[in-house]
Amino acid sequence: MDLISKERDRLLQRSARVYGLSFTAVSALCFALPGAVPFPVLLLGIPLYLILAAALVAVGLSRSIWWPVVALVAGTGIVLVVGILGATPTPAGSLALIHVAAAGLASLALVLTTSAPRIALLVTGALVGVGTVVFAEIDTPAQALRSGGTVLVGWGLAALITVWINAGVPQVAKRIASIGRAHRAERQASELEAQRRQGARLLHDTVLASLTLLAHSGVGVKPEALRQQAGEDARLLRQLRLGTAPQLAEPTQTGTVPVVTAEEPVLGTTLESVKQRFGRMGLQVSWHGTGQVLLPSEVLDAFLLALAECLENVRRHSGVTEAHVTITDDATMVRALVTDAGVGFDIADIDEAKLGFAESVVGRLREVGGNARLFSAPGSGTTVALEVPRG
Amino acid sequence: MSKTDTIQFSQPDENTLGVVVGNARRAVQSTARRFSRASTAHRASLGTAFLGLGAVIVVGLRAVYGLIWFAAQWEVYPEPFAALAAWIVLAAVLIGAIVMSRVSGDRLPDWMFGLFLAGLAIAFALDVIAVWELRNIGGFATAALTAGMALLVLVALRGRAEILTAAVVLGVALIVVIFLDAPVGALADPDWIAIQVTAIAGAVLPPIIGVVIVESFRRMVQVELDRVLVQSTVSAPRFAVGMLASEELARLDLAAEELLDAVAQQKTKLPLTPKNASVAAQLATELRLHLIEGRRETWLYHAISESEQLGKSVTLSDKSSLAGLLDPTQRDGLLSAAWLLVADVPSAANPRRRGTARTLSIQIGPVVPGSPAVPAHKIAVPITVTSTGIPRNRVDSGVWDAIGRIGRYSDSTQDASLRVDIECIVDNPADQ
Repeated sequence: MDLISKERDRLLQRSARVYGLSFTAVSALCFALPGAVPFPVLLLGIPLYLILAAALVAVGLSRSIWWPVVALVAGTGIVLVVGILGATPTPAGSLALIHVAAAGLASLALVLTTSAPRIALLVTGALVGVGTVVFAEIDTPAQALRSGGTVLVGWGLAALITVWINAGVPQVAKRIASIGRAHRAERQASELEAQRRQGARLLHDTVLASLTLLAHSGVGVKPEALRQQAGEDARLLRQLRLGTAPQLAEPTQTGTVPVVTAEEPVLGTTLESVKQRFGRMGLQVSWHGTGQVLLPSEVLDAFLLALAECLENVRRHSGVTEAHVTITDDATMVRALVTDAGVGFDIADIDEAKLGFAESVVGRLREVGGNARLFSAPGSGTTVALEVPRG
Repeated sequence: MSKTDTIQFSQPDENTLGVVVGNARRAVQSTARRFSRASTAHRASLGTAFLGLGAVIVVGLRAVYGLIWFAAQWEVYPEPFAALAAWIVLAAVLIGAIVMSRVSGDRLPDWMFGLFLAGLAIAFALDVIAVWELRNIGGFATAALTAGMALLVLVALRGRAEILTAAVVLGVALIVVIFLDAPVGALADPDWIAIQVTAIAGAVLPPIIGVVIVESFRRMVQVELDRVLVQSTVSAPRFAVGMLASEELARLDLAAEELLDAVAQQKTKLPLTPKNASVAAQLATELRLHLIEGRRETWLYHAISESEQLGKSVTLSDKSSLAGLLDPTQRDGLLSAAWLLVADVPSAANPRRRGTARTLSIQIGPVVPGSPAVPAHKIAVPITVTSTGIPRNRVDSGVWDAIGRIGRYSDSTQDASLRVDIECIVDNPADQ
């Protein structure tokens, strides 16, 4: 059974419980009024009311068909006790019977429409209710007719409410399903959009570097250089926002703009942009070795991000303004050695995670099948070896 | 100063390179909450218009019944024209409310609700005046009692507290006037009392029951909607970013753009003030986490975090993101089982619901190598579902069907918790 049917059943069960219990309470109140029914009837009736109430509570909690049966038996018992033991019911007693038969028991109709046996029980319950109430009032035919009619109307009303709710559920289920379909399309679109933004990794790399500088209030970097860098990053972000492919450009002095698209898998040109950026921030980067290496774009991204993280660490922690990057490649791997002659550190003293090394360098490289190792000692600079597979 | 000063962030976490997962998770969750809140008002009205129509029919039947009584008692009334006036006011108010509710959609404006209540009060007063001399309000009042039922018309259009308050006020007013109007010795007469009790119950209980039904219906709609929205994760890729990630990323990108632009345009002075610097640090942290962490999460994580119901009661432990390997059928089974096991948890809409809170924890992995019975190119992922607050015999039978779709399982009960171990066979990602 699907979930919404379960939820619907639960709704009907709870409604039946509230409906039934409230009118059973009203009936019990009328029943217990002094003089409403003879004392022996009162004595027998009270336990039956308690059983009926307990069964109605259980109807709210359990889907079993037996609780409605128990409730029906207990409620019918009340009517019969009045009918057999009492003479003609007083008006108060008569009202007590009507409340219990036309509402307290009729509320069970809410849980008796979902299967054939339940519907049979519903019809039986309604007929028995009418029959017993008429029997209890048989001495006053007019009153008997009125009470019987009320019980029938009570069951009819409860059945009508049930049918109405049951008819409402498929409607709303259909609407929810169409909302669900729209949502799935939205999820896919959102996924694509996020991929586009996350895919612009090189761009975000430079943005992050600039933000990191700003987070340190831009101390240690020439304001003009930082402004220039910020302006370029803002321009790239605007391009990304407006939907054009972001381009990492290197504006030259003459104003002509040789562009390098973010997707172009050539290492050399992108390395140059990394170098320029660190140059503006006060770290001279010297390149050695292979300049032109073709890499799949996600590998290139990871490689460059890791490289930039290493250079950022040099800039911030080494205390020197120069770093060397040596790129070598063979048939399967591309490697980079990032070295500085700075203060260095004792690897055992430094929590790697604190440097962001494990996360942003090793993690990224491993994602594309590469790796990174860190070598350093106090006073003798730092070397990081990065490697990624070629394809 | 500059526009950037208006970018508001919570207290920045230091460590622009570090892992501050909790922070980003908080950010995502607060967005999720905003997202679901915005749509709650809309969700609540889904399907209740139809119920409202049913209520209108019931009220119509009750009004016809009351009118027949009224006509039959015309000769008896000391002040028949007061009763007639009461019925005219009541009819006008009811017709007005029904027409307005059909026109204005799913909510009645406050002033109209006030007018409606005022109309009911006038009808009530007129009817009470009409039958006052008979000393048996419960036995002879008609419009005054129908007024209680009339509240049902609004049951889908106003909040439950308003309807309940109105019903209770009406009940108290009835008790007061009945008591004041009681003839000498009536309080010892069971028949007279029973008639008054019947009248009060007939006026007050229907709107209360109506509120219960409509509230339960709304709850059902909400649960179903929550489930259907989350269901779309079943077809998501192995790693997904989730519904809110791109929205969040776009927001961060824009904030970064504005900040950098302000710096470039010299609207923000360098070096930055500590406040602006912390804004930048915060932005960098969140952006980094969204770029790096976002794709690590599986459909199941997104399903649980996006769902109001599951988010409250399910804890997921899936260190190696193995949930992503499940195929759509297995995902559907796991999600259905989770739904069935937690469906009775008290909801935000109805926090007072009784019953012990059910919690569910789903542990996926780790993969134990060398399991013998696994076909080639497949691996066995162990999934353990532990549920508390639900006795074994109260577990819905649908749960076992759903779990059966994930894989072979065995269940055990320890203390008050149910534990199901499932062996889920999935394609080996190394072969793909």
